[in-house]
Amino acid sequence: MTSLKTPLHHITAPAHVTNANVIMREDPFRGHLNLRGNPQDEAFTRAVAKVLGVALPTQPNSSAEQGTTRIYWLCPNEWLLLVAADTQAQVEADLRDALAGQHVAVTDQSSGQTLVNLSGPQVDDLMMKSTVYDCHPSNLGIGKVVQTTFAKTGAIIHKCADGSFDLVIRRSFSDYFFLWLADASQEYGLRVT
Amino acid sequence: MLHIYCPYCEEMREEEEFSYSGEAHIARPLDPESLTDAEWGDYVFFRTNPRGLHHEMWNHAVGCRRYFNVTRNTHTYEIYETYKMGEQPTVTGGKS
Repeated sequence: MTSLKTPLHHITAPAHVTNANVIMREDPFRGHLNLRGNPQDEAFTRAVAKVLGVALPTQPNSSAEQGTTRIYWLCPNEWLLLVAADTQAQVEADLRDALAGQHVAVTDQSSGQTLVNLSGPQVDDLMMKSTVYDCHPSNLGIGKVVQTTFAKTGAIIHKCADGSFDLVIRRSFSDYFFLWLADASQEYGLRVT
Repeated sequence: MLHIYCPYCEEMREEEEFSYSGEAHIARPLDPESLTDAEWGDYVFFRTNPRGLHHEMWNHAVGCRRYFNVTRNTHTYEIYETYKMGEQPTVTGGKS
């Protein structure tokens, strides 16, 4: 019997916060699959679109969404697939079937990273002091995905339709990430849900 | 801080996201066995280190993790252009 724990299972939210202006919510146990292949190869893009039900985004810093599946563009031949919990093994097997014989790589990274959502009235202020990337809506529009630093550790930042931010962070940095977040959002008030 | 255009992400990013990776356009000898020690040492260790125009490699380390080339002035730090691996610089010589 194994017990599954998220990288952020041990954190304790700051107590006595009456007015929380930053809200953190982990989306634990999502399937994270790293996919590499040649987007100029139609056999590759067609096979992937068939498995995922949505075409791979090929514009830099873009994303695509279909139901619970989300695709982040990482570089010209690399994507991160976020799929529903416990479906990653099936999606990986389906991709391997559909891409058999092609020069591609599918890597399950689910246990190596986690997805965290940051929202709240003052989340923009928090982002401003946490990352070197300009997160103003004029630069980071809805649906845009950038790989940059968050508190000096690497993070993938996605601007969601509701104005919140989805961050993919490394498991090994999750403790550091939360300590930074708790400290940086002290002046705004942090709630963990 | 330098503001560097990543030719793969197609936008300006902060220097903090990048790491410097030395001189660009150094071709690996096709037949290393036939080189003298002096020629091999020159290939492995010796770099131009100019004052002025320099073609160099940078790595978008926390971004797309691609290597690309930068034409930069080592004296003024001005970046003239960035271009993908395998491409040739359009700015060469004449400036310092």
